[in-house]
Amino acid sequence: MTPDQMKQVVRIESITIPMPGEFFAAINKQGRPNWKQLVRTGTPEATASRSQIALILGTLVADGYIAVEAQDSQGVKNIGKEIINLAKKLNVSQSVLGRGNSINDFADNNDWNALREELEATQNEVKLDMFEQKDSNLVTLVTLGAWMRGTEIASGLIERSYTPESARLLRQPAIIEYLLEQIGTLPQGMQEDPLISKLRVALEKSRDFVKAETPSTENVKDLHETMSSIVTAIATGA
Amino acid sequence: MKPTYAKLLPIGIMTRLLQVLAAAVLLPAAFAQENPTPPPPTVESDVSARSKALELAGAFSNDGYKIRDGYWPGEIEPNRAQFLEVNLFAGNEYWFSAAVTAPGRKIAVSVFNENGNPVDYQTYEDGQAAAAGLVAEVSGRYFVKMSLLEGDKSQFCLLYSYK
Repeated sequence: MTPDQMKQVVRIESITIPMPGEFFAAINKQGRPNWKQLVRTGTPEATASRSQIALILGTLVADGYIAVEAQDSQGVKNIGKEIINLAKKLNVSQSVLGRGNSINDFADNNDWNALREELEATQNEVKLDMFEQKDSNLVTLVTLGAWMRGTEIASGLIERSYTPESARLLRQPAIIEYLLEQIGTLPQGMQEDPLISKLRVALEKSRDFVKAETPSTENVKDLHETMSSIVTAIATGA
Repeated sequence: MKPTYAKLLPIGIMTRLLQVLAAAVLLPAAFAQENPTPPPPTVESDVSARSKALELAGAFSNDGYKIRDGYWPGEIEPNRAQFLEVNLFAGNEYWFSAAVTAPGRKIAVSVFNENGNPVDYQTYEDGQAAAAGLVAEVSGRYFVKMSLLEGDKSQFCLLYSYK
């Protein structure tokens, strides 16, 4: 590619940023983890902050993929219900709410491939609704939440049984750059939200941990700590 | 590997196709982040290109590939390739499937690493539809190139699947 062509490259969030399912597919090739142990239970804490709701919704999408990997049909249904509950709080349309029924149907039939597709379709439909309701700033936050929860899980698994091959899966500096750029486009007021500030700091720290072709054991440990801490902050708002 | 056209599209893919028609134009426009942003295509041509790309990707899904919900629609003209950034995971297998509508007649898809150098990939070309398949050797950024080899300016759609 010529330098001019490199400048013409297009980025489209719904393709350029991978879904947690892709990350987990790569991890499964290194040795299938015990996904059942990783399924998160419980209801997210109530909050009135739309930013926090969007972030939590993103983390739940990643949780949905974990439940799919664990082949936990009740877990997927519970997470689907939570996603729809949060989407309602953001005033999404009726069509998104119908996704909840599809998730339940696919879960009842143990149709795991369809569930992977349905989770992404649900996320994209929520984002489309946000965009149509002039809430496009929240779109970035859903993406951020999903990526951070996915990375928390992936880095935790790799930390537990480190191999250079598995650590190489974490090399994603371009995604972090993209997410930081997106945070930079949020309205000033939103950027000054303490939770969003924490997110930015966490991403800036994490950028150094995933730069090397093979992140070290220390890099992986630091990345996992950083992601765990920020996912907890998203859940609690603290 | 070549896709098998004798097989029917999986029901899930057909259902998904119907579900996305209404959002065919709005969603990608909402998430397009960088230049060049082509003028919005007509709904008919966009949906037609997407249908063709989905049909091709559907054939790969018979081999266990999962299709991403997101896609890239736009306009392409001869001698002016389009490039898309994607982020892939080492060890995963990918197929990037694309299609154009008339007056486009023949397209090609190719893949480059983060330095802009070509990587090893398989190709499938069938006139208005084409695909490039690879196993990502390293995790990180890649670029997908779409070229219109024959025909005039037309609408395209690109999507990808993985396993």
